[in-house]
Order: sequence, then C-alpha cells, then structure tokens
Amino acid sequence: MDLKLPEVNIDRKDLLMAVLAVAAVVLIAFCGWTLYADHTEADRITEFSLHVLDSEADLFLLSCEITSHMESRRDYPLIAEYDAWMQKLGALADYGRDLTHYHRYVIAADGVPEPYAGAQDAYVRALDNLNRAFSLWSSGAGAYDAKAYSAADASFAGADQAWKEYITAIGDYHQELLRAEEGEG
Amino acid sequence: MEWRDIVTVLAGGVVILVIALVVKPAFLAEMVSGPGPVKPYYVPPAPIPTATPFPDDDPVYTQSFRWTAIDGGVYTTDVRVPEALFDEHRETPRFDTLAWGRYALDEGDRPILEDLARRIAPPTTNPEKEYFRLMDLIFFVQQIPYALDSSTESYREGVLPRYAVRRGTDVEYPKYPAETLIDGKGDCEDSAILMAGLLDALGYDTVLLEYRDHMALGIRMDEFNPYYAKYTPKYFTHKGKHYYHVEGTDFVWVNVSADSPARLGKPGPIGDTGSTAGTPTIIPLRYTPAPAEYRIHQVRLPAGGG
Repeated sequence: MDLKLPEVNIDRKDLLMAVLAVAAVVLIAFCGWTLYADHTEADRITEFSLHVLDSEADLFLLSCEITSHMESRRDYPLIAEYDAWMQKLGALADYGRDLTHYHRYVIAADGVPEPYAGAQDAYVRALDNLNRAFSLWSSGAGAYDAKAYSAADASFAGADQAWKEYITAIGDYHQELLRAEEGEG
Repeated sequence: MEWRDIVTVLAGGVVILVIALVVKPAFLAEMVSGPGPVKPYYVPPAPIPTATPFPDDDPVYTQSFRWTAIDGGVYTTDVRVPEALFDEHRETPRFDTLAWGRYALDEGDRPILEDLARRIAPPTTNPEKEYFRLMDLIFFVQQIPYALDSSTESYREGVLPRYAVRRGTDVEYPKYPAETLIDGKGDCEDSAILMAGLLDALGYDTVLLEYRDHMALGIRMDEFNPYYAKYTPKYFTHKGKHYYHVEGTDFVWVNVSADSPARLGKPGPIGDTGSTAGTPTIIPLRYTPAPAEYRIHQVRLPAGGG
C-alpha cells in the first residue's frame, strides 16, 4: 500500500498568527502562575499577620484588665470584698478562655507558607497554654466559691504552670519568626 | 486563523486568571474556615447580693454563760442568736479546712460577736488594761464546756447535724461562732474559731493553727515574754509575723483543796502549748487563694507579608 501524507498548504500569515497565539497563551500562563504564586504567598503571610495582630489587640485589652484587677488585691481584704474580687477573676478567666479559643481556631486555620509554619505552631501552642491557664483560673474561682480552697489552690498552681509554658511558647514563636524572616531575606 | 480567534484565546486566559486569583482563594477560604466560632465579648459578673440583717423582733435562741474573769470576778453573760441565723448555719454544708476562717468572720455572726466582745471586754482608754481585755476574751472561750463533734451532747437538738462529716468512727463538724455559743459546747476547732471571731471583732490579727489532731489559735504579737511565765512562749511565723499559740479548750478546773468543794479555774496562757507538740499548718482567717502568674506578653508581628 502506498501511503501518502496529505499535502498541507499553510498560509504564512496563518502560521504566524498561530505561533503568536501559542506564544501569547504561554506568556499569559507564565505571568499568571508567577503572579498567583507570589500573590498567594504574600497574602497568606499578611493574613497570618493580621490574625496575630487581632489576637494581640484583644489580649492586650484583656491583659490591662487582668493587671489592674490583680493589682487591686489587698493583703487583708474583707471576706465579701474578696468574694467579689474572685468573682471578677472568674469572669475574666471565662472571657480569656473563650477569646484564646477563638483566636486559636482562626490562626490554626491560616494556610501559611512553609517557612512560617513553625511560628504559626508556636503561636497556636501559646494560645493553647493560655487557654488552659484561663480554664484553670475559672475552675479555681469556682472552687473558691464552693469554699473548697485546697482545690482552688491546686487549680491556680496548675494555671501558673500553664502560664510558664505559654511564656516558653511565646519565646519559641519569636525564634521561629526570626528564622522564617531570615530565610526569606 | 483570524484575529478574533486570538481575542477568544486571550479572553479564555483572562477568565482562567480571574478564577485562579479571585474565585478559588475566596471559595477555599470559606471551605477551610467554615462558620467557625464567634468572637466572644466580656460579660462582667453580677454584683453579689448583700445579706439582709435579721430583724430585732425575730425569735432568738438564748444561752447563758457563767465564767471567771482574769481579776477573779465571776460573771454571767447571756447570748442571743436569731433562730433563722442559727438554723441557716446548721443547713450549710461544711467547708474545706483552709476556708474555716470564713466561719469566724461570717457576716451574720459579726454583730453578735461585736456585742459579746464589748460586754466581755469593754473598751478602755487605758492601754495597760488592753491585756486584761484580751485575756478575759480568751478565758471566756476557754471556759465553754468541751464536747466532741461525735457526741450528740454537743448540739442543742441532741442529734448530729445533717452536714456532720463522718470519718470512720470519728465525726467532723466545725461550728460557726453562733452555733458554738447556742450549743454552749464545742471542741478545739470550735473554740479556736469562736475566739478568732471575737478577737477579730476587737481588731486583733489572728490565724488558726492546725496541728495533726488538734486546733488552736495564733494571735499576732510583736513580742510576748512576760517575766512571770514559767515557759518559753511559743510562736509561729507567717509572712514575717509572729503568731503566739493560744489554747481554746485548756481551761482546767482544780479544787482549792482536797477538803473543799470550791474550785479555781486555771486558764491556758498565751504561748503555752501544754501537751500540744509539732508544727501546725497556719490558716489565715482571710485566706486568699490566687494565681501568681498573670502577665500576658505582647509579640512581634510577622513582617514578611505584602
């Protein structure tokens, strides 16, 4: 059998346009991908940063309330006065627990670029520890209200331990953040 | 191929870009985060309602005490407690040991203790008499008859209260001062609590001293070492302050002589631990548990964003 390729007659103009079209598609795809990759990476870091900022702003306000409350504690208070003091500590603890739970959820959901994963983990761990400390404050205030002072003491001792772990996690966060930023530079 | 074909291809590319850069990230973000938790807000606690004082014409329980003062005089003192207050105490579950100072400082008992303290130890402008006031209060409490918590004689109803805690054959029921006064009896912790309430009403700083099988009172004094004491006054240090041991139950009646029915009271002086040994746990009346760590650290924000 004699096979014969069909004869294709391509106009030079058509050929040129086809080549130009393919080149345009490749160019758009290349620029698009580059833009997409850069855009999403920067976006994700910005989003993470904004979420941390939001968390820090809320924690700052809470911190002011807590510090002022702690400094209002006297050495020899009246029983009724200390009951009211402890009740407010319980309310602050409940708010702190819910607040850290909320920010932990938001920040853990951030899809950060790989170099920032360590900082994100450390910040989430810090919020987890703070959340545990506030939960224990809340339990301690409840135990105090039930006149179970030994249980209240145990809860506050546990909260102090969780607080120390929170401070450690904050230190880890700063180190991881520095590492990520130096890696980028 | 025409120019319009190229325009179609370019338009397709733009659509793909829009989908990739805008639609997909927005959609994915919704998928990942979902509805999520709602940002909480601070809810301040409701104010604690203040206790309503009992009306003067409410029914009361009365108890009479005959006691010897430091000057040797014998006195009779009546104590009246609103029935409603007494019954309320009886129906209150007992507290953890560290919270026993709350019994001594109970708001309902306070006016009764202030009134009783004024009658036993009338205010004086002579500072030299202050020691006698203090000792009269201590002697008054020491002379309240002793009864174990497990004895039904310890309660005016003649039965163990509902919230008496049974520990094997033993029973624990720390009393509010008003309960000890109306029952007219109590054990070591009841006396220590009553004494603490009375002395606090006079402005003394006291603590409860919890020994292994005993409870006494600690009274804060800078230095107590009277020349007549045939013992070294014992004190315990708490937060840099000295609290001297005071027995609540060691007032011993002794016969004047073998032939005479007359008896003398022998009070337990300040700082004399008698047969009590060991180092007690110090329980402040105003025990204030609180966390030590509370400072939130501000963090640096990521700088790598766009």
